[in-house]
Amino acid sequence: MSTSRRLSSTIILVILILGALLALFPIYMAVINSFKTQGEMFSNILSLPTQLHFENYQQAFQKIRLLDSIKNSLIVSVIGIGGILLFASMAGYKLSRTSGRLSNFIFTLFVASMLVPFHSIMISLSRVAKNLHMQGSTYGLGLIYIGLGINMAVFLYHGFVKGIPRELEESAHMDGCGEFQTFFKIIFPLLLPITVTVGILDFLWIWNDFLLPLLMLTDVKNYTLILSTNMLFGMYNKEWSLILASLVLTAIPVVIIYAFFQRFIMEGITEGAVKG
Amino acid sequence: MLKNTRKTLYLFYFVAPALLLYTVFMLIPTIGGMFYSITDWNGLNRNYNFVGFANFIEAIKEDPDFLNSLWFTLKYVVVMVVLQNALALLLAVFIESRTRFKGFFRTVFFMPNMISVIISAFMWTFVFTTVLPQLAEKTMMTFLDQSWIGDPRFSFFSIVIVSLWNGVGYMMIIYLAGLQGVPQSLKEAAVIDGANPFQQFRHITLPMITHAITICFFLTLNGAFKVFEVVFGLTGGGPGRATQVITMNIYEEAFSNNFRYGYASAKSVILFVIVLIITLIQIRITKRNEVEA
Repeated sequence: MSTSRRLSSTIILVILILGALLALFPIYMAVINSFKTQGEMFSNILSLPTQLHFENYQQAFQKIRLLDSIKNSLIVSVIGIGGILLFASMAGYKLSRTSGRLSNFIFTLFVASMLVPFHSIMISLSRVAKNLHMQGSTYGLGLIYIGLGINMAVFLYHGFVKGIPRELEESAHMDGCGEFQTFFKIIFPLLLPITVTVGILDFLWIWNDFLLPLLMLTDVKNYTLILSTNMLFGMYNKEWSLILASLVLTAIPVVIIYAFFQRFIMEGITEGAVKG
Repeated sequence: MLKNTRKTLYLFYFVAPALLLYTVFMLIPTIGGMFYSITDWNGLNRNYNFVGFANFIEAIKEDPDFLNSLWFTLKYVVVMVVLQNALALLLAVFIESRTRFKGFFRTVFFMPNMISVIISAFMWTFVFTTVLPQLAEKTMMTFLDQSWIGDPRFSFFSIVIVSLWNGVGYMMIIYLAGLQGVPQSLKEAAVIDGANPFQQFRHITLPMITHAITICFFLTLNGAFKVFEVVFGLTGGGPGRATQVITMNIYEEAFSNNFRYGYASAKSVILFVIVLIITLIQIRITKRNEVEA
């Protein structure tokens, strides 16, 4: 019994290690080859670089306009996430606390669209953006993310608010707090757990998103990090040392964030999934 | 009465910003898409004519590219829902069964999910076109030297590999959370009753994590129908249109080929209806199998 148990435990460990190697293999390959010259890559792709060629990175840094691209991605993410958190918490809170037909109708309106695939609305969305003269603007793109992401966020806040006792607001009202004061001073801090969840889910979505920026942004100056890398990939077909360096540069910000916030990210996903 | 108006007014204040942005960027495009789908609008002219269901009929009857992309997507959905869930659950069970290195394996398996899908596809393009042929040459594992991206027989497989690589970690996290919710006492009771590991899994674990299964099936099903980036980055839909998925067919129709907005909108509506129906069926079926814990 005990030997068979040890055996199965060893088999599981071996499978997990093999799986982990498979998961890391493309990343490892991309990283080590990003330091090689094209020639070295084709003579020996599997070995570590004999010499670190940082000029790949230097070139990639310029070609994807790394700092500008990061700035653009940040603008879009900050507007998108900030707007979603602020407006969805307000709406979710009020809708949860107000009963009545109107409130129910609005909440249902938000929730009903959660199943609509982005690809089903992208055509008319690009028309709307064009009509509003928002095409090409990172700020406009941020606003669009608010509009697209708010239904899910309202839904999550709405559910979370139900667990907060009403007495808190009532006593705040007694003390002469107005509606907005009560919300921002008393309620909003209590929403922190769900705010973290929504913030993380939306960050992963907006920062890594590709198709919407592709449709909206027209000028290279406004490209997000992902778009710049996509452009480089298309332009320098098969110049792998340059492409790999840019892929690694693009992945670094998320890997750093992953290293610091891993626990929150995993909890956020679980929370979001369970509630959704 | 006065109190009620005041209440409605505050409801308005709190909801207005969210509702406004939602209406402009979500509601209007949704309704607009349905509206355009019954027109012959080309996206440029001011004028358009109503054509009734002609666009839908054309898509279903006279558009082999669309039907092929639909068929290809359905194949992908079935394979992905099965493999992604099976693999994620397997990893979760294996990791959960261990006492040491849990955190390490969780970190490693989830990491690919942090990398944007399109970046993952580019990374794998390198692996498929450049690394594997050399690896095949050096290790004599000649089966690795295939046209992984150029040959439609293999490119479906490649698309699935990259999607799994990127997506399994997310589902694994949800399954892990589900597994942690299974009470230890139940497992112990099963062991005392002489249940072997498979029986334990089948009769204790599986029924206790049906909620996680519902969620993961929903997410994988939905995600698979909307697949775009993996294919865009890896094969671009090619060779020819052999690996074109439905979202890409819509994209091409509207933005790069013909600018037939009305016709492309009709295809979008078809996608929406398919996703809606299949998701509702899935939720119904998996919910019915859930036990109240």
